[in-house]
Amino acid sequence: MRPFEFAAPDSVRQALHQARDGSAYLAGGTTLVDLMKLDVMTPTLVLDLNALPLRGIRVDRHGLRLGALEPMSEVAANGLVATGYPMITKALLLSASPQLRNMATIGGNLLQRTRCGYFRDTASPCNKRAPGSGCPAIDGDNRTHAVLGTSAQCVATHASDLAVALVALDASVVIHGATGTRRMPVAELYLLPGVTPHQEHRLRPGEIIAEVVVPTLDWARRSTYVKVRDRSSFEFALTSAAVAVDLRHGVIEDVRVAAGGVGTTPWRLPAVERALRGRPMRTDVFEAAAMVASHGAKPLTHNAFKPELLRRTIVRALTSLAV
Amino acid sequence: MTRSPVGTPVRRVEGRLKVTGAARYPADHNLSDLAHGYLVLSTIGRGTVRSMNVDPVRAAPGVLAVYTPFEPPPLEPPWAQDPTAGIGYLQFPMQDKEVRYHGQVIGMVVARTFEQARDAAALLEVTYQRRTPNASFADGVPHATQGRPPVDILAAGTGSIDEALARSEVTVTATYTQHPEHHNPMEPHATTAVWQGGHLTLYCGAQAPLLRALQVAPAVGVDPARVHVVSPHVGGGFGGKVVAYPQSVLAASAARELGRPVRVVVTREQLFTVTGHRPAFSQTVSLGADRHGRLNAIKHDAVSSGSVAGPYFGDPADWSRTVYRCPNIHLGARVVPLDVPPATIMRAPNEEPGSFALESAMDELAATLGVDPLALRTANYSTTHPGTGLPWSSKHLDECYRVGADRFGWHRRAAEPGTRVDGDWLVGMGMATLVYPAARFEMAMRVAFRRDGTADVAGATADPGTGMWTVLAVVGADSLGIPIHRIRPDLGDSALASSPLVPGMLAGAGGSTGTASAAPAVRAAAESAIRALRKHAVEHDRSPFHGLSVEDVHYRDGVLHAGRATATFGELLTATGTGRIEAVEATGQGDEVTRHAFASFGACFCEVRVNRWTREPRVARMTCVVDAGTIINTATARNQIVGGIVWGVGQALLEGARVDPASGRIANANLADYPIPVNADIPPVDVHFLSYPDTVFNPLGARGIGELSTAGSAAAIVNAVYDATGIRVRDLPVTMDKLLAR
Ligand SMILES: Cc1cc2nc3c(=O)[nH]c(=O)nc-3n(C[C@H](O)[C@H](O)[C@H](O)COP(=O)(O)OP(=O)(O)OC[C@H]3O[C@@H](n4cnc5c(N)ncnc54)[C@H](O)[C@@H]3O)c2cc1C
Repeated sequence: MRPFEFAAPDSVRQALHQARDGSAYLAGGTTLVDLMKLDVMTPTLVLDLNALPLRGIRVDRHGLRLGALEPMSEVAANGLVATGYPMITKALLLSASPQLRNMATIGGNLLQRTRCGYFRDTASPCNKRAPGSGCPAIDGDNRTHAVLGTSAQCVATHASDLAVALVALDASVVIHGATGTRRMPVAELYLLPGVTPHQEHRLRPGEIIAEVVVPTLDWARRSTYVKVRDRSSFEFALTSAAVAVDLRHGVIEDVRVAAGGVGTTPWRLPAVERALRGRPMRTDVFEAAAMVASHGAKPLTHNAFKPELLRRTIVRALTSLAV
Repeated sequence: MTRSPVGTPVRRVEGRLKVTGAARYPADHNLSDLAHGYLVLSTIGRGTVRSMNVDPVRAAPGVLAVYTPFEPPPLEPPWAQDPTAGIGYLQFPMQDKEVRYHGQVIGMVVARTFEQARDAAALLEVTYQRRTPNASFADGVPHATQGRPPVDILAAGTGSIDEALARSEVTVTATYTQHPEHHNPMEPHATTAVWQGGHLTLYCGAQAPLLRALQVAPAVGVDPARVHVVSPHVGGGFGGKVVAYPQSVLAASAARELGRPVRVVVTREQLFTVTGHRPAFSQTVSLGADRHGRLNAIKHDAVSSGSVAGPYFGDPADWSRTVYRCPNIHLGARVVPLDVPPATIMRAPNEEPGSFALESAMDELAATLGVDPLALRTANYSTTHPGTGLPWSSKHLDECYRVGADRFGWHRRAAEPGTRVDGDWLVGMGMATLVYPAARFEMAMRVAFRRDGTADVAGATADPGTGMWTVLAVVGADSLGIPIHRIRPDLGDSALASSPLVPGMLAGAGGSTGTASAAPAVRAAAESAIRALRKHAVEHDRSPFHGLSVEDVHYRDGVLHAGRATATFGELLTATGTGRIEAVEATGQGDEVTRHAFASFGACFCEVRVNRWTREPRVARMTCVVDAGTIINTATARNQIVGGIVWGVGQALLEGARVDPASGRIANANLADYPIPVNADIPPVDVHFLSYPDTVFNPLGARGIGELSTAGSAAAIVNAVYDATGIRVRDLPVTMDKLLAR
């Protein structure tokens, strides 16, 4: 770890004021400190956000509002969330471990970095970490890597489970910046790697995520998050699916489907949604719709199974909502 | 009479120390003036170190020394330079500029704090002359070289194993592969080294303290008698703490150079290349049988990965000589030397891969013949050791099969694979035979009666979580007839070795020999100590038994009797003003090995559930019935069996290092990307011990149990996956991507 300065601003204004080139915000630290120890993130100034009043879990006329500094565990344990948006609760409970969820925050979760092993190893080239140095994952070890949204420069998977659920639910983030406050859909927050994989999101330098707003969606009560991985717990997704169904008399009136573990960003699947809308809640319908989930997928040496696994994950998630 | 604790569940006597944090591990010795070494590893897979810019490192805060191939720490050549040593290293770090594998130690920074050393190490710039490493095991398998000469055990009149196969009515042949596996014990390897007047004390985790002293002493050029290894608690070893890895010799060397204690802790990530691992394996097994499944031929050819930097390779085919009655057996062992770190022994080193291959092949044979896999095993039951023809000293495997099948409900297994569904899950059952050879090493133990009514039981063995502290207490209590709380066990210290030992002798925890070696020595030393006590009783003039003949003084349960006169040994020693009466005895294997063969046996049954949509396999329940002779402590014995099964789950479903063939770099060298089972992966495990004492083996009748359940449990799981899905996976780990086919 490199030597760095540390400050703990006590207001959003002060934080925005102290932010500078080379500074990084600290929330739970489960990504930041980890990557500082690995020398992957090398901030010269760490600004601790924990004294900021960015807390609270509440429902208002806009929907569900989650303070950016709420720990994942608090949101996971919240009854309003569990009944209104089970896919959020499940996505959180299937993330990391209880210890990590106690530390990790909602805002930090959305901005966590990829788990690509080459990104995390400073002795390896990586276009995301050291632009222009190359991408060993494309020809190297890539079982966990993305098959959707990849580029010739980067195939790293976006690792957040929560973000997949939020993208499915059309959630947005409220952002405080030097020039004021703005709101942005979570789906727009993330950038595809393209030729600039080091640019991962649309936040301007120094901006702070204040909260997440999930729009009211009554039928999100019928939703789930299915996560598929080698071991039963404490592992990132090989594939995942966040699915909500508005089911009326056996017919899919409306539906949301998003996928994790397969994309360079959390991956909404509008084509799958279209293929489901207006159709009966039946396995053959699910299977036909899931076929389009992997359109355009570009498998690599070790992750060629992901398109098929993704299709099955979606069918499994939909099936579990049929009862 | 005091009830013997043998065969009951006894809590670990050192458990309280461990759970309260009072137990001190090697990196817990915070000596004054302590300096910290941080290892620098190569980031290329093969080549030469051309230059190292150490100036910014030296200038960093707190730095005391920087060792590199250009300024190496003074070390003598390692003992394993003799390739017949079979294990260890051919070179010590930094003694030349060669990079032989990715992650080799090429530097060490010593600073006042660990963090200073680590930060300074990050400043070291290295330039290399790169060469292309030869790191692909799969590419090397066709060109493997001989590891040991092949063994052929052939029936009279049979010319070759292939002839025997050709004459068999039914044959199956398949190749089974697995990636390297890593021990990664909870406690990373660490050494704190202190010199005092030419004597070296090493606080380090050692599965065999004396062996560690014998390894480090020549490296730093001192007599082994001047090296004191202190290792009372070992936070997991599994074979990985038998060899002295670089941290021990580097700490010792730097501490002498700097004239202050030095500690070197290997980080979690560094463990993957700085300490050993289980090699990669490719095994081809052919079985020949008649229509009823009676085996006529076993041809087991194994290829192990090897390292250009160390002599070790695995010999898994060896397992196939211990299991089934079969007139024709061929056991081959070849090696692919690679530019990868040296491998080493790891829990059930040959038996873990060997059982996966043979027990998978047996399942394939059962499927081909359409017979029950359990019936196939009993049809080939061996009453003698198949390799030598010697009778087994004590074998109740048939009862393990019977009792296990019963407890598990094996009769409920479906006739056809892939036909049982429970909700979203495909359900399958599998089983395998467990066999692990039983051996014991020469070991010395000291038993001493003390004036305060307690007794010492001490020896230079080790407790890497195996329960040896408690074994000494239990066997001591049993042998002296006093309660456990009056026994003071001591171990994990080379100074406790009471007899001279030769290099290569384990005298510790390894090969499932710990209890089988220590317990008889405790028993013998206790008997001698009792004799000495009785002699003392009649000879000392302040003894109430003074002047009697030794034969008239009897010892029972801590009390001496002669007619009406009685005295506890504490009273006696108090009366005679004697601190302690002690005896040392060393015991080991005798000529019984020429008349009998010895092994622990078991049967493992497993239910696996595979998600019908996404196909991830999960172990639902396991039953394990064990025939390992007398069980000394049923609590820690159960730990060992369950622990061995956890390893089987890891081997079968999760583990494997992925070596990047182009760079030799392990792509998943950390515990996030190298998954091991978590609690949620481990189902209820039903463990049952048969407990028939094997007194041919040793007077207590106890054989080893530490590795038994790792020798077969993965095969039971893989066989259950086949039963659930109809898909036979021969390449470990069995992950869902290999089960998507149907
Ligand atoms: C072993 C392990 C397993 C894990 N498993 C999973 C998993 O299965 N699923 C999953 O989804 N995640 C998983 N994670 C990731 C974990 O969820 C994230 O590390 C965590 O959510 C990050 O939150 P934090 O508060 O600790 O963020 P920090 O580490 O404090 O910050 C992360 C990044 O976000 C920035 N940041 C934080 N808060 C704000 C804010 N309010 N405004 C602007 N910038 C901000 C920081 O500057 C930093 O760049 C795992 C992590 C570990 C270490």
